[in-house]
Amino acid sequence: MKNSWTGGEAARALEPHEENLAVAVHRHDPGAFERLIERFEAPLYSYAHGILQNAFDAQEVVQDAMMRAHRALTRQYDEARCSALALRPWLFRTVRNLCLNKRRGKRHQLEQPLSEFDDGRIGPFVRLEGSDLERKQEVELLRRAIALLPVDARELIMLRFMEEMSYGEIVKTIGGSEASLRGKVFRSLKLLREALEKKGVAYAV
Amino acid sequence: MRCRPTLTRVDALRTGELPREEHRAVEEHLKTCKSCEDSVDDVGSLAQAVKGLRIEPPRSIRETLRTTDFFDRVEDVWVAFADRSIRMISGHSLDDLRDRYAKRYGRSLERATVPEPLRKQVIDALHGAGVDKPAIDFTEASELERSVAEALLSIPRGEVRSYSWLARQVGKPKAVRAVANYVARNVLPFVVPCHRVVPAGGGVGKYGYGPKMKRDLLKREGVDVDQLDALAREGIRFIGSRTTKIFCCPTCRDARRIREENRVPFHDADEAAGKGFRPCRRCQPAAA
Repeated sequence: MKNSWTGGEAARALEPHEENLAVAVHRHDPGAFERLIERFEAPLYSYAHGILQNAFDAQEVVQDAMMRAHRALTRQYDEARCSALALRPWLFRTVRNLCLNKRRGKRHQLEQPLSEFDDGRIGPFVRLEGSDLERKQEVELLRRAIALLPVDARELIMLRFMEEMSYGEIVKTIGGSEASLRGKVFRSLKLLREALEKKGVAYAV
Repeated sequence: MRCRPTLTRVDALRTGELPREEHRAVEEHLKTCKSCEDSVDDVGSLAQAVKGLRIEPPRSIRETLRTTDFFDRVEDVWVAFADRSIRMISGHSLDDLRDRYAKRYGRSLERATVPEPLRKQVIDALHGAGVDKPAIDFTEASELERSVAEALLSIPRGEVRSYSWLARQVGKPKAVRAVANYVARNVLPFVVPCHRVVPAGGGVGKYGYGPKMKRDLLKREGVDVDQLDALAREGIRFIGSRTTKIFCCPTCRDARRIREENRVPFHDADEAAGKGFRPCRRCQPAAA
């Protein structure tokens, strides 16, 4: 019963039907790959940028990922595999792996992992003044606050809240279980809130 | 349910992703706990704020990634082209062209009008007019494939060579069959004249589009195919000139202008060498 979702509508909205696009690319349908790029380039780029915090590297990674995706869909996978493919998690996983390769051997490793931030404290979230965040400088503050988070927290926030993936899809993208993921997302949000507090974003309790 | 397990589930609750019983338990707790209840809205507003952070890549990936090349029909063949060069030709079908193109280049094809200079080259090739400087691109080919293509292009219109000649030209005199396989896989038939290679033993040999097509193509290019057959029947591989003491491949333009009374037929290169003849420098009938 673990995956029986109760809120059918909301859950479905998180998982649009993209499988056909993989098959279309496989069949060389005219413009299919362009549509795939159109649909995914900004999400994948945002995600890669979230992990790497570097525009140049992010661009390179997404290009590389798109080329790999095209090669896999048209040359390596047969049609059955393409139609069974969960396209979005697959693409994000490809980008993720390439990002992690890029980070390997760099000083990023000095960043603390998410687990070290967990002090075991529990506390309610405080209400964030939505109207303040809508203003441009607040968006910039939010961006910078996210940049301060450890990489695994950053990527979870990207996948869950920017890309609005379901927990099931995130599991397909980065592995793990939904239960552990819920804890990680919670801790990431807590960290984000703390980072925002440091940046002096207005809160109302 | 207590506060911590509730809080870790608030986000999944928001999108209705919790199993039924957990969903109920979380809602139970929220009714009794004000601070946890507030968190539901907090997560919602943070989620909303983060959603707006998506950014566009500085340059569109599409500009840097050419994903399609083009195809067009020229007379009876399908032609794939890109960047002002002919990339592939199929005399079979559009599907055949698409399949092989995707395998080789990893890109798909879209219909477009082939530029006039390229169209003319294909038509010339089909009509046996020959193509002087074919607009082709072998940058993605292997070294051997490229040198086989160059050797094929060096066979003049109206002449033919043997597979062993070709193998020698690409520097692999013993790998005749391997080289012949490359000829068979020629991605640019007609334009890269794979039809100008024939078996040493006579006849025009096999062809991807049937031996008749090969015969017709060679005839259109001015090869005397019947004479080729006649020579092969007698086992004659080379023609020498009594006056110059040079021997050639039978279709070499220099062999064709030897007068009847001066023609000396040879069965192999050793026989010619034994009688004091040297190989022609133009058609290179044997290793120097």
